[in-house]
Amino acid sequence: MTTVEIFVGIFEGFRVTATVTALGLLYAVPFALVFGVAQYLTKGMARLAITAVIEFWRSSAVIILLFVFYYVLPVIDIQLPAITVAAMVLGLNAGGYGSQAVRAGLQSLDRGQFEAAAALGLPRRHILALIELPQALTRMAPTFINQLIQLIKGTALVSLVTLTDMTFRAKEIAESEYNPVGVYTSLLLAYFVICYPVTVFGRWVEQRIGGRKGLTNEF
Amino acid sequence: MNFDFAFAATTLPTILGVIGTTISVALLSCAGASILGFSFEIARRAGSLPAYLMRFTIDFIRSTPVLAWLYFLYFVLPHWGFTLPALVVGILGLSIYFSGYLAEVFKAGIDAIPKGQAEAAKALGLNRIDVVSFVLAPQMLRNVAAPVGNHFVSILKATPYLAAIAVPEMLGSALDIASNTYRYAEPLTVVGIVFLVLALTIAQGVRLLERKLHGPTNR
Repeated sequence: MTTVEIFVGIFEGFRVTATVTALGLLYAVPFALVFGVAQYLTKGMARLAITAVIEFWRSSAVIILLFVFYYVLPVIDIQLPAITVAAMVLGLNAGGYGSQAVRAGLQSLDRGQFEAAAALGLPRRHILALIELPQALTRMAPTFINQLIQLIKGTALVSLVTLTDMTFRAKEIAESEYNPVGVYTSLLLAYFVICYPVTVFGRWVEQRIGGRKGLTNEF
Repeated sequence: MNFDFAFAATTLPTILGVIGTTISVALLSCAGASILGFSFEIARRAGSLPAYLMRFTIDFIRSTPVLAWLYFLYFVLPHWGFTLPALVVGILGLSIYFSGYLAEVFKAGIDAIPKGQAEAAKALGLNRIDVVSFVLAPQMLRNVAAPVGNHFVSILKATPYLAAIAVPEMLGSALDIASNTYRYAEPLTVVGIVFLVLALTIAQGVRLLERKLHGPTNR
């Protein structure tokens, strides 16, 4: 196999990588929005409970969460396909980080935004949906893009629960072909060609919204 | 098959037995990533060609999954004649992967120091090395301490990836117990809880450090 053939072979796993990313987003985006807003709006016990759920998903090691859910769910009689478990775990982990960006974005807004809207007589839900969220989400866009990259890279994990993504394909090819340099360089390149455009796009967005930095320590 | 709490308790000592490996790997990887990241950042400031090369290197690292780096080093280094223990390969892999993020931390840490600091030091007759080591570096350390701490937590949460290249850390030992006893749910749940507690504790420590360094009196 030439290096090009190896690269193409690895890309046969792209469909799974893309599917897990897309399904993961279906969990991540709603979780980030709902829990981020809820953490922003609530106080006391309710806030504590919401924070606990976020921290569970955010502070656990995602690889361990994947193994735990993959092996523990069947024990309590919940049979799910590996791809569903993987998308849920990766998505909710990313959603946990995302929720913190949503909350931080909402908190960073000038108090006057809320006060002016309230003075105009807008109901709370309209203030949130029409005044606060659009500004907060724009402000945090670079952070969300960084988290999307983390999610894409995180899908490499699904190779450990037998899904044939790009990483799994690389290991398959490595078994039939002794060419570690070719195989694993191609694997790095395969992720690079997917994530690098997203990185460049993220930088462009960051410049467009006035050079505001994303939260680089959150990923 | 039910969840056996008594069995779960018996796995705890074995898993906690290797917590030292997990923490040492995280500390050494954090040191390695800091040294590499700082070198990237210093190199990036050495002219426009190095700046371009370093930015590309950092982007490349940030666009590729940690698992791909671990496989790359684990299979390619022996091919090139460097046969290292899996533990060392793991530390090397985490160091490279996180250096891309730490370079950005050091960038922000250096950029946050007001320009007048270096100018004033030069005006007082300090030479270049003294300016860097006595004026800039101490202030940079204060700026980067909390973000590096946050990355340390991320590195800690990435150590279970080393199970994929057969390093005996906590996830690896849990998977060993699982394959010996055919009971996956219990050891994995235990390792999940241990990791969550460890990560939350260290994250809390970082938060205290952050408050101490950037409290109201220091602003």
